[in-house]
Amino acid sequence: MRHDRLVLILLWRELVAGLRATRRRDLGWIALGGGGLLAYAIADVVLALHGAAAKLRHDQLLWVLGVPVALAVLGALVGNAMSGLSLQRAYAPFLKALPLSPDRRRRMAGEATLVLGAPLALLVGVSASFTCAVIEKPLAPAWGLGAAMLFATSYGATALWRLRRPQHLLDETGSEAAPSGGPLLHRFDRARPSWLSSWAWKLPGGHLRPSWRLAAACLVFATAAILCAWASLAGRTAGPAAVAGLIGGILVFMLSLRCQPLGSPVLRTAPIGFTRVWLRLVQLPLQLSLAFFLLPAGAALAAEPTAWSVPMASGLWLLVLNGAYAVFGAYFLNAPFVASLSFASALAYAAYETLEYGRTVLIGLAVLVFFLWHRTRQRYRNG
Amino acid sequence: MDEVLVVRELSAGYRGRAVVQGIDLALRRGGILGMLGANGSGKSTLLKAITGQIPLTSGSVVVDGIDLAAAPERAKAGFGLAIEPHELPPPLSGRQYIELVASIRGCAPDDLPRGDLLERLDLGRWIDRPIAEYSLGTRAKVAILAALLGKPPLLIFDETLNGLDPVAAWEVKRIITALCATGRHAAIVSTHVVEAVPALCSRAVLMAGGRLARRWDAAQLAEAGRAPGAFEESVMQALRRQAAA
Repeated sequence: MRHDRLVLILLWRELVAGLRATRRRDLGWIALGGGGLLAYAIADVVLALHGAAAKLRHDQLLWVLGVPVALAVLGALVGNAMSGLSLQRAYAPFLKALPLSPDRRRRMAGEATLVLGAPLALLVGVSASFTCAVIEKPLAPAWGLGAAMLFATSYGATALWRLRRPQHLLDETGSEAAPSGGPLLHRFDRARPSWLSSWAWKLPGGHLRPSWRLAAACLVFATAAILCAWASLAGRTAGPAAVAGLIGGILVFMLSLRCQPLGSPVLRTAPIGFTRVWLRLVQLPLQLSLAFFLLPAGAALAAEPTAWSVPMASGLWLLVLNGAYAVFGAYFLNAPFVASLSFASALAYAAYETLEYGRTVLIGLAVLVFFLWHRTRQRYRNG
Repeated sequence: MDEVLVVRELSAGYRGRAVVQGIDLALRRGGILGMLGANGSGKSTLLKAITGQIPLTSGSVVVDGIDLAAAPERAKAGFGLAIEPHELPPPLSGRQYIELVASIRGCAPDDLPRGDLLERLDLGRWIDRPIAEYSLGTRAKVAILAALLGKPPLLIFDETLNGLDPVAAWEVKRIITALCATGRHAAIVSTHVVEAVPALCSRAVLMAGGRLARRWDAAQLAEAGRAPGAFEESVMQALRRQAAA
């Protein structure tokens, strides 16, 4: 039947439309700049692997536990993302009126997930095999095959689990129109422009919807903060709590920042500038981030009062990193996951290169942040 | 200053490709401009350029004496645009959306041309529900209400009136006419309902191929409005001439 590959066709059309919508100059920059950067990164990784080849070859823990766990986690994450992508197309609103049964939709999504997974598994296998060859580990092709199989198993299991319960897609759309609880943000969301955070967080009528995901996230963050505070107090050292405050603070900020209203004509045709809207969108996530930071930072100060500069520096870095991520979040306004991934990659790459080239790389990162902010501001003003 | 909108030699489009070109337009206070044209003729693109949603490739837009390119925020304070219904924020309730727009425009949420507008548009039972639950017509009513907030000098409706029920459409037309009759406001109404133009508008333009193909002044509109179907015939003739050229 013609619609057997409907999900794949939709994904392909979206990719083509996305490429066509991108200006040729930008495509050139992405291909040349991104390609060059990738080639440089591969060369750098190969050199680093060569340097540490002997140690890597004989690290039993790495090969028995580290690599398999990393591949399984990677497979699960990618499988979850790809099946989600396919399910969203299979259950797209414009397909609702078509005579397609839920089983047929699941099958279409499953086929697309499978087709997307095959080249990814191949890529993982080739990369693993290549890495083993670089560090001269015996049986490199077998390691590559094993890596691909492990990745594919984890990918397939996660995708299957998600494809079996696509009803969450329908539940989400249904619950958007079913507010419950009180308008929790009422007091916090009245600053000018009013209700912007409720809009950004997609809270129907400003009502917070309790969910297992939200409860689990709160529990994880609270446990991590308490454990690190306890570690600092028990060891009488500011380090663990200060680091936990910094990492937890930026994670809270990244998870809570949403900037999609920046692309809406509601704001773009209104007498309000980009900076004001951007600062307003950042306001509540920043408050949440700092609220999280206070417990570990207080514990760090109590554990080692003479080292007050440690939590202070941690707080300043938190502000700087939050500011930088706020720019990434605004640039990738409709794709918070891409924003997080890009920010984490840019930060990791800058940290790695800083070891080699010093602080010049940090200046490069600052220039990148400023460039993204400028482009986002231009887009807000001119579309 | 009488002119609330001055558009000179405007060209604009998408990804560097001009969709509308060489547009010259001026609108005085008290005037209601009807904008007609086939699908894809450039009406929405022109209104997007006038409201600062897409960059101009050439020309200028001056709203209430303020250049849009030089001072966009101040210029945007001079108009109220009825956002396309599907672009309203779905999670917010109608009331929250009104409060959002009012907070941006620096006016009270009830600063509307009439105190009983909510009831007249039959929005009372919907206003505290999320916009996601609204029908197209109800969304259009909220968008129009937000455009009227603070009574800006220029009101812009891009096919928003098309989705309204007859009672709401009649109320909105009455409000537009009353506001413009005060001589402090002007309005642009883009529509496909050709027969409504002579009754509502004081001037009209027809867009075709990204250009202003034909203009009607107040006298011509009044003349065309006298005989039933005369204005539609006039529009069709202009479109046929444009197609033949």
